[in-house]
Amino acid sequence: MTATEDRELRRAMRGLLQDVPPSAVPLEAIVRRGKGIRLRRAGAAVGGLALAGIVAATTLALAGGRHQAAPATVPVGPVAPGGVIAQGVADGHPWRLAAQNIADPGYPCLPGITINGTDADWVYPAPGTAGVVALGPALPGFGFGFIQLPADINGVTVNGHDRVQAVIVAACGDRYHIVGFAYPLTVPLRVTVVNPPPGWSTVTMPVISTQPPSAATTPENPGLWINTASVPDQEASGILASGHLSGQEWLIWLMTGAAGDCYAFNGAGNQMGSCGPMSTPTGPETIVALPLGFPNPGSGATGYAVQVSPGTAHLKAVLSDGSVELVTPRVVDGRKYAAFIVPSSLRLSRLIWLDARGRIIASTTALPPYGYVQFQP
Amino acid sequence: MSDPRDELAAVPDIITTDGGEGFSAFAVSRWPGLVRLAFGLTGDRWMAEDIAQTALARAYVAWRRVSRADDPDAYLRRILVNASHRRFRARRVTEQPGDLPETPVDGPADLVGERAALLAALRQLPPRQRAVVVLRYWEDLTDAQIGAALGCSPGTVRSQLSRALAKLRTSSALAEGDDA
Repeated sequence: MTATEDRELRRAMRGLLQDVPPSAVPLEAIVRRGKGIRLRRAGAAVGGLALAGIVAATTLALAGGRHQAAPATVPVGPVAPGGVIAQGVADGHPWRLAAQNIADPGYPCLPGITINGTDADWVYPAPGTAGVVALGPALPGFGFGFIQLPADINGVTVNGHDRVQAVIVAACGDRYHIVGFAYPLTVPLRVTVVNPPPGWSTVTMPVISTQPPSAATTPENPGLWINTASVPDQEASGILASGHLSGQEWLIWLMTGAAGDCYAFNGAGNQMGSCGPMSTPTGPETIVALPLGFPNPGSGATGYAVQVSPGTAHLKAVLSDGSVELVTPRVVDGRKYAAFIVPSSLRLSRLIWLDARGRIIASTTALPPYGYVQFQP
Repeated sequence: MSDPRDELAAVPDIITTDGGEGFSAFAVSRWPGLVRLAFGLTGDRWMAEDIAQTALARAYVAWRRVSRADDPDAYLRRILVNASHRRFRARRVTEQPGDLPETPVDGPADLVGERAALLAALRQLPPRQRAVVVLRYWEDLTDAQIGAALGCSPGTVRSQLSRALAKLRTSSALAEGDDA
């Protein structure tokens, strides 16, 4: 095949598949199916026990709360100032990976790893855990990664030539022995540990999903970290909003964890879910749209969830008919979120952030029809 | 819909069943990509969604193993490809060939025409060749990765791809699409 044919086929394939609209994720149906498979495998008699086990495990997970990891072995040594793990300049754009508190002021400390002060990833002391992120237009063409290393490993080699030294950082009372680096998205990431000690396996880094073809450098989900599977996936969850519309009840809830801030909107028998980056108190607001009727406009209500800055007392949503919804944020695990729905006959025209005195902090009309956008007030 | 408190009670069942911690977030993040890949493999939107559901349901069952795998996406791809092949075999027996499947979205006439032409060209390929083409030109996988998804050697992938491309080159549907 010639290079031209090759290019044409890629382009045509992209044209065919890129615009296949993502429908709502049928989570309940998937889980139901999965349970059905399990039951079929286990047999009907054992199936009842299996379900009982599920309930018990669920209860324990809820009661357990935040993941409690065993303390990691961190070498003795000076702690890097400001929690900075690594920093540099990538293609003219400065970047900085740091460990910091990502909770709003006045709430219990929540440690996270941030890139340029925002787009956080939960972190807890556990050697071997790793994560990668790309920011898209804000830092084009580069990914950023971290690995927590055991005390007897001083650093790693990235893509065969860049030797990166581990540092000790502290956040929320815990210390982390950690290495951070930037790497070009055009090259598959390969990290090696020189002379790994016994019990330490090879580093397998997660892969950032880019817009196909994968040689492209535009991440599918800018600002969302991708972690190794050993990271606990859910840190906290809570209902952000609920109500009635046209006689039917609806609910928007948050699950925050390794996949970022994930929201689900349940209404009229349908469900729509989406995940967005976790911001920091000083970082941008992440505005997530959850259209039940996607991709057909007007065929279902749209849920909106916004992680708002600490000074936000209310979020005012102006709809296309001029009506206004005033939303009071709720705090989930030390961070503020606001959520509301827009009926299918209307659309969201503007969002306005208000402080406790009713003064406008910021407003925007750049609102997503689905997925997420980030907005810096 | 039931009481919201009941919905809340249902939430943990979705997000933290036994062995299923993090499955919800995983499923949410992979769903659009799986549906697109499945649509490429089947050319049928509804079948694509069904197959994507099947793949995730199987991942749910094996979640402990999947979540610890070096490459969970490779595992999902393999399930998806197998499910689409099984579906193709069942369909071949029970269904008559129908009209062109609907295109995924509306758009300018030439774009819609090109999509329909490519779908038609892909339908002319046997399932395995079609899978090789989609995995190469959409997922951008290497021969080895495609081989892992299909359960065959990289050499077989290359020969299947070569045959598929030869057919696509002579495909009148694709030629019409190119002209559009």
